[in-house]
Amino acid sequence: MSAVVRLQEEDFSLDTEIVALRASSQRIGGIATFLGCARDFSEGRQVSEISFDAYQPMALAEMEKLRLDAIERFSLIDARLVHRLGTVRAGDNIVLIATGAEHRAPALEACRWLIDELKARAPIWKKEITPQGDAWVTPHP
Amino acid sequence: MIRVLFFGPVAERVGLRQTDLPFREGLRWQDVRDEMRTRHGEAFAFVAIVAVNGVRVSEQHNTPLTDGAEIAFMSNFSGG
Repeated sequence: MSAVVRLQEEDFSLDTEIVALRASSQRIGGIATFLGCARDFSEGRQVSEISFDAYQPMALAEMEKLRLDAIERFSLIDARLVHRLGTVRAGDNIVLIATGAEHRAPALEACRWLIDELKARAPIWKKEITPQGDAWVTPHP
Repeated sequence: MIRVLFFGPVAERVGLRQTDLPFREGLRWQDVRDEMRTRHGEAFAFVAIVAVNGVRVSEQHNTPLTDGAEIAFMSNFSGG
């Protein structure tokens, strides 16, 4: 079975991650997911691809810490985080957060918290590839 | 030796992803920053986050570096 926190170039499967999350415990009563995708339009420009750079050891350590923090903070039963690196095309998957809890509220709250914290704490950068040239993305609130 | 790392927008502007500096006793991360800023001043306008051995540090962090330390100079993150 794949690791619960991963950085990888290849695509991931939402279904596979949910199956793995459900397999971790039958106490799970609610699963929430956030799936980040590559948009084909940004800041008024067509975007064909997005490339990612990362300080991989630190990014992975931060994501593993975030998962443990979320499990404790929201009493989750389990959580999985996957972020792609390399280059993705418009429409492709970028990031997946999946949280499992006994009830829906903590699963949903943890999912929102995890993606917000990942954006702030994981050293990953994205560059949009457009017909007008490439541009590093400025963080969004 | 001190290993200096650059990523994303900072690496692009510096034109390097990695460089080494000789270690000396008492060296702090701020000394490395000052040296790198002298070499790559324009790129350092984008540096917002610094990590020593994979842990974020603040200006108040004054612990001397150890030989073999790794320092990353980074812009604000934009993953996700």
